[in-house]
Amino acid sequence: MHYPWWYVHLLTSPMLIAAVAVVHVLIAHYAVGGGLFLALETRYAYRTGNKAYLGYLRQHAWFFILFTMVFGALTGVGIWWTIGLSSPLATQTLIGIFVFGWAMEYVFFIIEIISAFIFFYYWGRPNPRSHQAMAWIYAFSAWMSLVLIAGITAFMLNPGGWLDNRSFWVGFFNPQFLPQTVSRTGGAFLLASLYVFLHASIKARDEALRHLVVRRAARLAMVGAALVVVGGAGWFAFLPESARAALESAASLNVMGALLLALTGIVFAMLYLVPFRNPGWVSPGFAILFLVCGTAAFATGEFIREAVRKPYIVYNVVTSSQMLPSQIPGLKQTGYLNGGVWTRAFVVSNYPQVMSEGRVDTKRLPDLPEADQVRLGQVIFQYHCNNCHSAGRGYSAVGPLMRGWNQATIQGIVENLEAVNFFMPPFAGTSEEAAILSKYLETIALPRPAGMRTSGAR
Amino acid sequence: MDPAQLIGPQSQLGYPAPYWFMATFKVLGFTLHMVPMHLWLAGTAVAMILRVRGGEEAGLYSHRLMNQMPIVIALGINFGIVPLLFIQTAYYQVFFPATILMAWPWFSIFVMTMLAYFGIYMYAVGLRTSRLTGPVRLGGWAAALLLVMVSFVFANGFSLMTNIGAWPGIWQRSSVAGAPLGLGLNTGDPTLLPRWLMLLGLALTTVAVYAVVDAGLLAHRAPGAYRRWASRFAPGLYTLGAVWFAAAGTWYVFGTWVPEARAAMFSGPAAILTALTALAPGLPWLLLVFLRRRLTASGAVVVAAAQVGVLALNAMSRQVLQNVELRRFADITAQPVNLQLSPLVVFLALFIAGLGVIGWMVGKALEARRQVAGS
Repeated sequence: MHYPWWYVHLLTSPMLIAAVAVVHVLIAHYAVGGGLFLALETRYAYRTGNKAYLGYLRQHAWFFILFTMVFGALTGVGIWWTIGLSSPLATQTLIGIFVFGWAMEYVFFIIEIISAFIFFYYWGRPNPRSHQAMAWIYAFSAWMSLVLIAGITAFMLNPGGWLDNRSFWVGFFNPQFLPQTVSRTGGAFLLASLYVFLHASIKARDEALRHLVVRRAARLAMVGAALVVVGGAGWFAFLPESARAALESAASLNVMGALLLALTGIVFAMLYLVPFRNPGWVSPGFAILFLVCGTAAFATGEFIREAVRKPYIVYNVVTSSQMLPSQIPGLKQTGYLNGGVWTRAFVVSNYPQVMSEGRVDTKRLPDLPEADQVRLGQVIFQYHCNNCHSAGRGYSAVGPLMRGWNQATIQGIVENLEAVNFFMPPFAGTSEEAAILSKYLETIALPRPAGMRTSGAR
Repeated sequence: MDPAQLIGPQSQLGYPAPYWFMATFKVLGFTLHMVPMHLWLAGTAVAMILRVRGGEEAGLYSHRLMNQMPIVIALGINFGIVPLLFIQTAYYQVFFPATILMAWPWFSIFVMTMLAYFGIYMYAVGLRTSRLTGPVRLGGWAAALLLVMVSFVFANGFSLMTNIGAWPGIWQRSSVAGAPLGLGLNTGDPTLLPRWLMLLGLALTTVAVYAVVDAGLLAHRAPGAYRRWASRFAPGLYTLGAVWFAAAGTWYVFGTWVPEARAAMFSGPAAILTALTALAPGLPWLLLVFLRRRLTASGAVVVAAAQVGVLALNAMSRQVLQNVELRRFADITAQPVNLQLSPLVVFLALFIAGLGVIGWMVGKALEARRQVAGS
């Protein structure tokens, strides 16, 4: 409400964040885990004098740099781009709180890039110690970027004591920080190994070499799997009560939770039975299937992590309807249209007759012609609801959710939104505004499906 | 409608650091970002043209520049994080609305840069494998075009940020029930075109300077003819860029600035800054002319430093002007400060330590290179 709301038909603009973010996390975690893999394995290859393995690692490093530097850097910036467009108040708030966290991450990014390129460039140069040092510098700075971003995403789910004292460090080292850092570190090891299996299955032609690569990457993956389990348990333990309740009560999250457990189980079983116990069984087909299962598990986990925060984008700090919780009581008194910068400007431009002493007088809304009331109801829908719901059709559309409802039913629900469903934010407007929103919603509510025998009548 | 009514409220959190601190890092970060950004913006197009129209040495510069371009882009994107971060911190009240009003073009920057990056990678791999096939060359040309388009959208975004008077019109033309469709562009702003053209002209001067940096500092194994070519080519390209910059700048300053901007930028200390910004390209130009006789490594370092000075002056002028333009609507930088001292200190310490680590790594790389050259 502080900013214009970007309307994306059918999809809703926050879904663009999800689209970019899912791609990014799958690459960013490889950038972290792959860094440690290369550092460990370069050290091992030098120590054992295994030139064939060094040759393979060089090949892998080229693939790694191409993939993570191109996709990783761009999709990372892409997320930032998209959150600013689709979730401006939450972005503004998070940047206001953690600007120096992001600035620290920037320092590590620059070190990452320079060390990665020098690491690759160093192959075949005279000093193996310096070469290995570059790899370790990369691995450390990449992991630190994970730690820094984990602190911020963990804050979004559980800000802990920050709500009381607003200290950067209390916010950063929030209750979710450690579990998310541990699980993301584990996820990075695991995911990096899946990429290594795929790359090795295609590029390492020599069987003994391929077995060596797979066997060593499998060890890293096993450590990763253990960390994912420990971190995941910690994540669940430190969830706010509302998030845990959402996991139980939202049908989509039930399904996603079950899917996550199933996929994680499959990935662990595949890891143990094939790369760990029988590295010779790793073929390109298996590696592709494994990577698909791993990325599906990862994406499902990210979906759940995002979804359980509702009705907040930042828990108790910014609601999913782009408001500060502290604003809501005032908005219920003075009106949502009046409280929003762009909604008020809309009314000033189009309906000056409802303005009084520079404010939107919501008592005058019922005097407007019916069509204008519906139009203003649509304005409220755009700014208050379109963050999570498209209108008649599309992502989480309200039209199909309200099949057969009349205006009175809708208004009753709108006025008690958070009571009807705890993961909905409260309606932050006056009863007149609830009425015009309901009038608009009635225009997009679909009819009750025909042929249903719910009253026992034949 | 009074456009200033569309500026949202100040954050309850306050600024995390004094405004001057954020502005300093914004200017510093933007200066650093400009070096690689200029190289990819004008450098890709220049490299593609030199490949077709230049001789053997021109082809070598084209080859070397495009070969280095993936690293240049990776660095440039990351160097862009700091200015963007501090813009969002200090100018959030105008940055977010401006970019949301043109959300799809703004979002397309990410998509176009990704495609351009792939085009450049395709081309760089083609160079390494000596397979510059038709599709590979097309990838290079497409990248050059896309990067120019990206710069145009950027110029739109940052000019719209200060052109608040245009917000109501753009919003009303393309919105559904008050929610913008994000299809706007700031094309009605008379400052847009000269501002964008200034950027392109300045980018050409940076590419010119990079030719002598590459030949004088980096291309140890290149034949002497390459050095001679670079020392002749650079002043010519720099002249083109500087003339372009001067013409667009004259148009920008005298043809499009509002009276308040002219009054502010031509009086007091700002007048000195304005004059220095206008005259600064003269110094690298003179140095490049001087280096025509003999291109040395130290000469290349001096001219590079002078060009960074030109870019820094531009960034500073831009910053001062941005505030002047915004002040017509509101002084959005006058906000309470809620200083985050300890994170700020940790960041500064990390920044300095990071510079040390980078210096050490680059030193090791150069040492290895000398060892290889010596053997």
